[in-house]
Amino acid sequence: MKARVAIPVFPGTNSEEETLRILRDVGLDAEIVHWSRGDRLFQYDAFVLPGGFAYEDRVRAGAIAAHDRMMDAVVDAAIGGKLVLGLCNGAQMLLEAGLVPGTGAIRRPTAAFTHNGPDGKFVCRHVFVKLSVAPERSPITAALAPGALIPAWAAHGEGRLAAPPEHLQEIVDGGHLAFVYTHANGSTDADAIPNQSALGAAALVNVEGNVLAIMPHPERDAWTFNHPDSPEGRAARGNAERMLRPSGGAALFESFAKGLALV
Amino acid sequence: MPLFKVRGESSGALQSAARRAGLALREDELRRIAEELGRDPTLVEVYAFDAQWSEHCSYKSSRRHLRKLPTSGPTVVLGPGQDSGIVHLGEHAGERYGVVVAHESHNHPSQVVPFEGAATGIGGIVRDVLCMGAEVIGVADPLRFGNVDEADSHQRYVATTVVDGIAAYGNAIGVPNLAGDVFFDEGFNENCLVNVVAFGLVKESQIIHSKAPPGSAGWDVVLVGKATDASGFGGASFSSLALDAEDAEANKGAVQVPDPFLKNVIMRASYRVFEYLRERNITAGFKDLGAGGIMGCTAELCAAGGFGAIVDLDDVSTAQAGLPPFVIAIGETQERLAWVLPPEATPDVLRIYNEEFSLPNVARGACAAVIGAVQTEPRYVMRSGNEVVMDVPIDFLTGTIHDELTYEIEAPRTRDDGEAFLSGFDVAETFERVLAHRDVASREPLYREYDAVVRGTTVLPRGCAAAGVIAPIPGSTLGLAVSVAGNPRYGRCSARYAAEAAVVEAVNRIVCVGARPTGLTDCLNFGNPQRTEHFSQFVAAVDGLAEAASVLQVPFVSGNVSLYNESKGGGAVPASPIVGALGTIDDVSRVVTPAFKRDGAALYYIGRARTAIGGSVVAGVLGVEDRLPPLDLEEQARIVTAMLAAIDDGLIAAAHPVTSGGILTAVAAMGFATLRSRPMGAALDDPSPWCGSESATVEAFFAEGHGIVVEATSEDRFLQTMQEQGAPASRIGEVSARAELHLLSADFQAYARFPLDRLHDAWSAPLREVYG
Amino acid sequence: MKTRAIEIRLKIPDNAAYTAMAALERLGVAAERVERAEIWVFEVEDDADGLLVEVMRNESLFNPNKHAARELETPSPRAGEVWIEELGDDPDLRARLGGKGVRGVRSAKRYVGWRLLDRQGKPVTKDVAQNAADVLLCNPAIERALL
Repeated sequence: MKARVAIPVFPGTNSEEETLRILRDVGLDAEIVHWSRGDRLFQYDAFVLPGGFAYEDRVRAGAIAAHDRMMDAVVDAAIGGKLVLGLCNGAQMLLEAGLVPGTGAIRRPTAAFTHNGPDGKFVCRHVFVKLSVAPERSPITAALAPGALIPAWAAHGEGRLAAPPEHLQEIVDGGHLAFVYTHANGSTDADAIPNQSALGAAALVNVEGNVLAIMPHPERDAWTFNHPDSPEGRAARGNAERMLRPSGGAALFESFAKGLALV
Repeated sequence: MPLFKVRGESSGALQSAARRAGLALREDELRRIAEELGRDPTLVEVYAFDAQWSEHCSYKSSRRHLRKLPTSGPTVVLGPGQDSGIVHLGEHAGERYGVVVAHESHNHPSQVVPFEGAATGIGGIVRDVLCMGAEVIGVADPLRFGNVDEADSHQRYVATTVVDGIAAYGNAIGVPNLAGDVFFDEGFNENCLVNVVAFGLVKESQIIHSKAPPGSAGWDVVLVGKATDASGFGGASFSSLALDAEDAEANKGAVQVPDPFLKNVIMRASYRVFEYLRERNITAGFKDLGAGGIMGCTAELCAAGGFGAIVDLDDVSTAQAGLPPFVIAIGETQERLAWVLPPEATPDVLRIYNEEFSLPNVARGACAAVIGAVQTEPRYVMRSGNEVVMDVPIDFLTGTIHDELTYEIEAPRTRDDGEAFLSGFDVAETFERVLAHRDVASREPLYREYDAVVRGTTVLPRGCAAAGVIAPIPGSTLGLAVSVAGNPRYGRCSARYAAEAAVVEAVNRIVCVGARPTGLTDCLNFGNPQRTEHFSQFVAAVDGLAEAASVLQVPFVSGNVSLYNESKGGGAVPASPIVGALGTIDDVSRVVTPAFKRDGAALYYIGRARTAIGGSVVAGVLGVEDRLPPLDLEEQARIVTAMLAAIDDGLIAAAHPVTSGGILTAVAAMGFATLRSRPMGAALDDPSPWCGSESATVEAFFAEGHGIVVEATSEDRFLQTMQEQGAPASRIGEVSARAELHLLSADFQAYARFPLDRLHDAWSAPLREVYG
Repeated sequence: MKTRAIEIRLKIPDNAAYTAMAALERLGVAAERVERAEIWVFEVEDDADGLLVEVMRNESLFNPNKHAARELETPSPRAGEVWIEELGDDPDLRARLGGKGVRGVRSAKRYVGWRLLDRQGKPVTKDVAQNAADVLLCNPAIERALL
C-alpha cells in the first residue's frame, strides 16, 4: 500500500494548494484534510502542515492551532514515529506543540519562532538554506546530499528562532539545527539571515528525526517556472514541459517522499 | 418611523438639517427625492439615497466622460459595469480561462486611519473579484504618499502604516502581491492615494454575475459574513467629501474594521459554494457589500436583473443590540457578501458557510442567513420590527443620475527635441543622484513586507521585473503579467499627458516580460469636480486614456473614480490617472526577464531618443525646468508590435522599459537583476550618434522617452524586425561580463565606470531609511 | 523616577480575544469572558505631566477611532489578569516607541494584558489565570507571565 499523506487545513491556513501540488508532483498520495473532517486524520501515514495564518496567529504564531483537535492526531503520529513536516506556519505549530525540538514535554515549548528582527515586520525574501546535520539524521533529509543547498522563500512575520540560552545549547548539542540560512554560494553571515534568527536557524528537527519544522517555503520555489533565471530555468527556455517540472525547492519534498518509503 | 423633513422646509433650514445629519446630498437632490416619493423620506431612505447618489456609487459627474474609453475587443470577456471586468487569458485543456480584474481607491480612509483604511481597501477589492465566481490570484497596490523626509511626520506615519495594513491583510488571506508602485510628492501630504487592484481566475463558462438571474423572483437574498456593527457608517459619502483636519476626527467613525482571518475562511467557503452550484448547474447572483452596505448591494444586485427586493433588517445578524435601522441598512461593516439563490439551494449553501466552514466559530456573530427575497415589483423595500422603513422605486434609487459640470480644454505642454542645455552637468555625479531619488530607488524595503509568492504560482515576483508574472493554472504554462503605472510628476504638468504616459508605461511593462497586452484598468484620482480646474484635469485625463488605449488597441475592462481628493485648505492632489495593465504569455518558458544574459550581446534602445526632460527625475535632481518630451502614440503602438514580433522570434534576451530615471537607470536595473546569480554589466557608447546632438549626454541618458532597452540575440534579424515594424532602434552598447556600467566617450575612452554593487547600494538605501 | 502604567484597549470588537476565549474553553479553562489590552509600563521623570495625553498623541501607539486608553492605579496585574511580557529583545517595542516616542519617558515595557472573567462577570481566581497562562497564553521559552 502506498503511504498516504495528509495536509491538515486549519481556519486561516493559506498554502494548502501548492503544498498539495508539490507532494503529488513528487509522486506522493497526498490529500488536503479540512478542519471539519479533522477526525479522519488518524487514517494517514504522514503529515505535512502547510503555511498560512492558522487562527490568524492570534495569541502567538501557531499557538492556538497547536492546541487544536487536529493537532492531537499530529502529536500521536509524531510520537508513533510517523513523518511530520511543518512548513512556515506548520513549523511554528510544531514548536508550539513541543514536538520540535522535542526536548521538553508535549505542548510545553522550549523554543519558538517569534517576531522577526530587527523591526518585527513581515519579510518576503528569497533565501537559500543549507542542510547542517548529516542527511541520515532524519528520514526526511536522508536522500539529500551532505550540506545540500535548497532555495526557498522566507515569507513570515514570526520566523526568528528564540529560546533561553540553555535550550539553544541543547538545540546545538542535540543536533536539532537541521537547516541554516545561507547565501546562494553556501556561505553565511548576518545578511544571509532574513529575520535575525538565533543560530541562523531556518529549520529544526526533533530528537528522533521524524519531525522537521522549516520556516522558509521550499514549496514556493519548487517548479522550474518559479525560477526562470536559474540554470534550470535557462535550460528550460522554450520547453513548456520542462518548465513545469519540479526543481529547486522540490528537493526537500523528493527527499521526504523517499524517506516515507523507508519508514 | 422618523422622517427627514424636506417638504415645506426653507432652503436654509434644509441645508443645515442635511449638514447636521452628515448628509452629502444637496438641497436640489433632497427635494427631488421628496417629490418622487410624494412624501418626506424616512431616515433610512435619506441615508440610502445619500450613499447611492454619491459620486462613489453613481458616477454622476464622471459617467458621461468615462463612456469615451474603449471597452471592447477580442480579449474582452466582460467589460466595465459589474463589480469587475474580465479579460481572456487563454485556453488550457479545452477550457477558456478569464482573468477578473477590479481596481479601486481607498484614499480617504487610509489618510485618516492608515492601517485599517488600507487593509479594508485590499479586503474590498478582493470581494469584488471573488463575487464573479473567481479564485483570487493576486493583488497590486499603486500608492502615492506625501513628503516623508521627516521621520516624525504624519506623512511618514501614513506611508509606513498603509504598507503594514496592506501586508497584514493580503498576506493573511494568502494572495500574492504581484505589482505596485509608490511615489512621494508634497501634493499628497494631506491626501495619500491608496489604490488597490485585485485579480482572479475563472473559467469563462463559470462566471457568476452581480445580478439576480432571469426568473429569480421569489428567490432568497442571503447575507454572508461578519455580524453587522456600527463601524463604517457613512463610508460612501465619506469618500465623496473633501477632507479637512476637523472632519478627519469626525470621520473616523466612518472607518471600517478589517478581519482577514474571517475573509480567508469566507473565500475558501465561497470556492466550495461555487463548486456546489456548478455541480448542480445552478445560476445564482453574487455581489460584494461595499458602499451603501446591505442596501447598496442588494438594491444593485436585484435592480441589475430587472427586479425589486424586500429585505428584513430583523434577520440581519448584528454585533450589538439596538443598532438603528439606518445603520444596519447602510453601514459598511467589512467582510460581507450577498447571494441571490433559488430557495432549494439555500439550505445547502447555508450549511457550507455555517457548518462546514463554521463561520460562527471564526468570528462572533459571523454567518450566512436569509435576509430577504427578490420580488417582481420594481420597488426596494426594507422592514424593521413591524414597520416598513424604506419603500422606493428601485430604479430611482440605483438608476443613473447626472451632474453636468463645466471644464476647459487643457493646453499641450510638450516641446519638440532641440537644443541640449545640460552640458554643464557631470553624468557620473548625476547618475548616483538619480538612482538615489525616491521615485527611482529600490522599492524592496516596502514590498518585502508583502507576500509575493504564496500560492506557488509566481514566475517573476514583485520587483524582479517591470511586471509581475504568475502561471495561475496548475499544469499549464499560460502566464499572466500585470503592471501598474501613473507618474505624478507628469500629473503636475499635464493631466492628459500623465494619462497617456500611464497607458504607455503600463503596456510597455507588460511587453517587456514577453506578454501580449490584453486589458487595462484605471483609477482616476482627482480633486473636487465642482472646481472647473480640477474637473478639467479629470476630463483631460479621460481623453488621454481613451486616445492612448485606442491607439495601442488595449481595452479598459474595469475602473474606478476617486474625486474630492483635496483638503479644505484648497490643495488637491496632482492629477493622478493610475493605470493597471494585464497581459498573456502563452508559454512562460518564453518569459523575458530583465537580467543581462550574454557577454558581448548588443544593447538597443527601442524608441526615439529625447532631449526634453520636463517631468523627469533628472529635471528635479538638477533643479531645472523644461517642457515634457513628445509622446507619439502611433510610434508607441509600433514599438509594442515590434517588441512582440521580436520576442516571438526569440530575438530579445532581456528587456526593461525606460521610466523614471531614463535609459541609464533602465540599463542599471538590468544589471541589478544579475546580482543574485552571475553578475554582468554593460559598456555604453557615447550617445551623440543616437541622440542626435553632440553635447546632450545627460539628456540622452536620463530623459524619460517612453522607450524600451533590450538585449538582442541576433542583431541583423532584430534590426530587420524593427525596420519592418517601423520602430526606431538605436544601438547603445553591449553587455559585458564585468559587473560594472562603463560609459565610453566618442574616442572610446572610458569616462565613467560604475561598479554595479556600488550603484546597487546607492539605489537600495533611500527607502530603507523610510521603511526600515 | 516613577513607574506608571497605561492600558490601551480596543473599542471595536476584539477578534483575537474571541479566538483565545474559544481556545481556552476547549482547553478546559473556566473563563466565560476574555478581554485583552496592551499595557505600557513606563519609567518616567517625576514631573512628567500629562503622560496619558502624550501617549494618546503618539499615533503609533494610540488611534482614537479604535482605542480607549487610561492610566492604571498600579503598574501590576489585578485580580483575574495575566500580563505577558516578551523575554529578551522585543523588536516590536523598539519599532513602535520609535518615531515620535513619548515625552518624559525614560524606558518602557510592553505587556499583553489578558483579563479573564467568570460566569458572574467576576475576575477568575489566580489558579485559573495561572492555568490559562500555562496552557496557552504564555510560551515560557520566549515569554514571562505576570499575575
